[in-house]
Amino acid sequence: MREHVLILRILNAKKRLMSFIETTGSFAMQRATSFAQMISFAAAVFYRLFMLGTYNSATRTVLVNQIYFTSIQILPAFLAVSVLFGSVLIGIVFQLLKNLGLTDLFGNVLMGLIVTELSPLFTVLLITLRSGAAINTEMAAMKVNQEIKTLETFRIDVINYLLAPRVVNGIISVVLLSFLFSIVLMGSGILFSRVIFGISADVYVNILLNSTNFSDIVIALVKCAVFGFFITFIPIYFGLRATHELTSIPIVVSRGMVSVFAAILIIEVLSLLTKLM
Amino acid sequence: MTFFDTEEKLSRAVQKFLRVNPRNAAPVCEDIPLLSNQEAWLNIALIKQYHENMSAQASRKLVFNWLKRLGLESVADKRNLALGDKERFLVKLLRSAMVQNAAILINRPFNMVPQLKNIDPILQALKTIDDLYSSCHIYDYDWMEQKYGALCR
Repeated sequence: MREHVLILRILNAKKRLMSFIETTGSFAMQRATSFAQMISFAAAVFYRLFMLGTYNSATRTVLVNQIYFTSIQILPAFLAVSVLFGSVLIGIVFQLLKNLGLTDLFGNVLMGLIVTELSPLFTVLLITLRSGAAINTEMAAMKVNQEIKTLETFRIDVINYLLAPRVVNGIISVVLLSFLFSIVLMGSGILFSRVIFGISADVYVNILLNSTNFSDIVIALVKCAVFGFFITFIPIYFGLRATHELTSIPIVVSRGMVSVFAAILIIEVLSLLTKLM
Repeated sequence: MTFFDTEEKLSRAVQKFLRVNPRNAAPVCEDIPLLSNQEAWLNIALIKQYHENMSAQASRKLVFNWLKRLGLESVADKRNLALGDKERFLVKLLRSAMVQNAAILINRPFNMVPQLKNIDPILQALKTIDDLYSSCHIYDYDWMEQKYGALCR
C-alpha cells in the first residue's frame, strides 16, 4: 500500500515537473519567435531606408513634420534641461577631479565619458519619453481606427509611409540633439574650467582637441544612429500590434515602452563593451 | 447601382470588386476612414503625393480647386472628427477620385450619411467630379431601394 502511494506521488511530481518544463519552454519559444519576428521586420525596414523608391512627396512631407515634432518643438525644453543639467554635471565632475588631484585628466573624462557616452544616453532618454511614447500611441490608435486598412486599400505601403520617415527622423534627431547637448556641455566646460582650474578658453580647447579620439566619435555617432533607429522602430512595431479594441492601446504602449528601454540599455552596454575591448 | 439581400453577399461583392480592380479600386466605405492625424486636404492629396510623387504645393492647389468645386473649401484644414457626415463622405469621395483611372465603389452611402433623404446629393457630387474617375458603382441593400428613387426603376 505504502509503495503504491509513493509511486503515485512520484508520478504526480513527474507530471508537475513536465508541465513546468512545457510551460517554460512554450513561453521561451513564444518570446524567441516574437523577438525573431521583430528583428526580421527591423531588417526589412533598415533595407527600405536605402531604397530610393521609398522616398516620394508623401514620405518627405511626413519626414519634415516628424523632424519638426521631434527636434524643433522640443528645442526650448531640451536646451533648458541641457544647460541646467549639463552645467551642474560639468561643475561637479571638474570639482571632483580637482579634489582627487586628477586635473590633467579632465579632457579625457569630458570627451571620453561625458560627450561620447552621457550625451547620447541623455538625449535618447528625453526623445524616448517625449516622441517614442507619442509614436507608439499614434500607431496603436491608427490600428484601432482601421486607418492602417485605409493605407492598404489605397495601395500605400505601410513601411514606406509610416515607418521609413519616422525611423529616419529618429536617427537624424538623436544625432543632432546629442551633438547639441555635447556643445552645451563643452560650452559650460569653458566657464567651469576657468572658475575651478583657472585655465583660459584657448588652453581648454587645446586640451579637448588633444583628448579627442576619432574612434570614440565614430562609436558615439553609430550609437546615436542605432539609438535613433530603435527608439522609433520599436514603438511603431508594438503600436501596429494593437487589435481593433480600444483596450489594446495601453497594453501595446506599455509593452513598446518597456521594450524601448530594454533596447536602450542593451545598446548602451554593447557600446561600453566596445570601449573596453 | 447593385443591391444585395444579405450582408454576406454584399461583403463578397466588395471583396470581388477590390480583386478585379487591383490597381484602381477606390472604395468609399464606412470602414475605410480618413487618417485622423491629417487634415482633410492632406487625406485627399496623399494619393497624388504617394502614387504620382506630386509635390505638396501642387497637390494642395489641386485639392483646394476640387474642394472649391464641391463647395467644401472651408473644411480643407479640418480633421476627421471635426467634419460633419456629409462633409466626411465628400472628402472620402474626393480622396477616392484622386486614384488614377479610379473605379469608385460607394458602399452603402446612406450608412455614411444617414440624414440623406435620397441619393440625389451624392449623384450631384459625382456629376461635379465626373472628369476625375473612370467608373462609379454603388452597392447597397435591397431594402434601401426606395431611397434611390427613379434610378432603380
